[in-house]
Amino acid sequence: MEHYSLKINGHVYETGAEPFESLLDVLREKLRLTGSKKGCDEGECGSCTVLLDGKPVLSCILMVSDVRDREVLTVEGLPQGGEPHPIQVEMTERGGIQCGYCTPGIIMSAYALLQENPRPSEDEIRFAIAGNICRCTGYSKIVEALQAAAGTPIR
Amino acid sequence: MAQPENATSAAQSGPYDWIGSSVPKVDALDKALGITQYVGDMQMPGMLHARIRWSGVPHAIIRGIDTSEAVKVPGVRAVLTAGDIPGINRYGLAVQDQRVLADDKVRTAADPVALVAADTEQAAEEAITKIKLDLEPLRPILSIEDALDPTAPSIHESGNLFTRTTVRKGDLDQGVKESDVIVEETYRTHLMDHMAMETESSLAYMDPTGVLTIITSTQYPYRDRRQIAPALNLSMNKVRVVQAPIGGGFGRKDDITSEIHAGLLALKTQRPVRLVYTRRDSLIANTKRHPMLMKFRTGARSDGRLTFVDADIYGDTGAYLSLGAFVIKKAGIHACGPYDVPNIRVDTHTLYTNNLSSGAMRGFGVLQAAVAHESQMDQLAHRLGISPIDIRLINTLKPGLATGTGQVMDEGCGIEATVLRIKEYMESHDLRFTRS
Ligand code: FES
Ligand code: FES
Repeated sequence: MEHYSLKINGHVYETGAEPFESLLDVLREKLRLTGSKKGCDEGECGSCTVLLDGKPVLSCILMVSDVRDREVLTVEGLPQGGEPHPIQVEMTERGGIQCGYCTPGIIMSAYALLQENPRPSEDEIRFAIAGNICRCTGYSKIVEALQAAAGTPIR
Repeated sequence: MAQPENATSAAQSGPYDWIGSSVPKVDALDKALGITQYVGDMQMPGMLHARIRWSGVPHAIIRGIDTSEAVKVPGVRAVLTAGDIPGINRYGLAVQDQRVLADDKVRTAADPVALVAADTEQAAEEAITKIKLDLEPLRPILSIEDALDPTAPSIHESGNLFTRTTVRKGDLDQGVKESDVIVEETYRTHLMDHMAMETESSLAYMDPTGVLTIITSTQYPYRDRRQIAPALNLSMNKVRVVQAPIGGGFGRKDDITSEIHAGLLALKTQRPVRLVYTRRDSLIANTKRHPMLMKFRTGARSDGRLTFVDADIYGDTGAYLSLGAFVIKKAGIHACGPYDVPNIRVDTHTLYTNNLSSGAMRGFGVLQAAVAHESQMDQLAHRLGISPIDIRLINTLKPGLATGTGQVMDEGCGIEATVLRIKEYMESHDLRFTRS
């Protein structure tokens, strides 16, 4: 067991962990940040997506020892001043959420996109969430919600 | 039904104003914020982690299960086999043909043979790999044809044909006589996983009053309880099933999944036990969409009017029935599609095999039937030189006409309008059917 101090959502978290434990397991089981979901645990589904130094990564296939001295952002870190992020609001109001299990991962992929490209086209949105599997919605409502969050016209 | 507080303004004036308005789901914002607690997100003090050892072979006699190495893994608190089940080692949604843990025989590669609870998931995982199975292989029944073979060994007590259903209408011979063209084909559909994003999961614990409480990702808590209590030899009021937020079900979480196993481990260890299937567990062990073999003969007159459907539908329900007989029966009920067919003979056959079990899945048998009846329509259209859209329009059910099972349509029958919309769209976008 090693000691880690991790920068997550602007706070420093201290925890013990084995170096080979995944960032996802440490977030969920040790730090109790359970917003990031485990759909496959092998880098296929995107439900564990978090941002590492601003880039979307799959936290289930990232070892905790790899994130020392780096900035992690999870879905819990998006609201500002107690207000949900516009992506969270639009996903809620435009039917982008059914069972909700893919939702945090989708939101993090979308957030990373809008940081880089605030006015993405529909194709760019679809490409940005191509690594996030949603089994419920059929994606259309998600894309519409993300277009609304970006303030781009919806189809 | 309770109405959401944060609904759109249209909601306020009358009880029917909800219809057609877009209403945010009451629980959606929590999901967007990541604060919804699915079972796998929950922890309890002293909680153990569980893993299941699957049989890995489709059909075998169990000669022995050696758990002596597994119990030595540090952190392991319990290793259980069929002998540890306090109640009746049987359950099932429609018939009780499933074992909580395999006892006499292995009937599918997804049969659970042993359970482990340990302090960590890693320890539980290591322990299940140390369980040694002594299995005597039996001839496996791996296809519908195998299951129909009269010399094949019986997977359960009474043969591999679980049940047959029939649909009859009109006079088949007359229909054949009136036909100008007859298309005869065989179709197969494959096994399919629902792939809900959240895997099957349960958290079980004894509450302070001695009630076994199981928080679970399920579609149906009461039916779960009815199956859990007898297996654990508890009276119904000593089992409480709590339906957690569910990360997708699509039919697969209709059956018992992790509930009895988590409950049994909690009962034995008197500790909270969390059992979260890995994706691999989920792919192995849960019900699928039924593979079907469908032999169809369909006739039509030269003007495109259907004359008869004559079909046999064979469904592979795998080693356990789940809701198989109902799914396969439904494929038979829908075998003629949304069309007016005067003469019908459809038989369905629900068969046990040693394959993975199938059960409820979105569409519940109707999709498999559609593969066959729509392919037949396309072939008839081709043979008669009628467009695929027109042959459907000629035959769609309309108000006043009856389905194969005698249900007379009233004004709520929308298939003709739907096909017309497709036709208009295709014409206005210059889309055509092509056939290679
Ligand atoms: S849980 Fe990480 S990609 Fe599926
Ligand atoms: S909302 Fe269920 S998987 Fe996307």
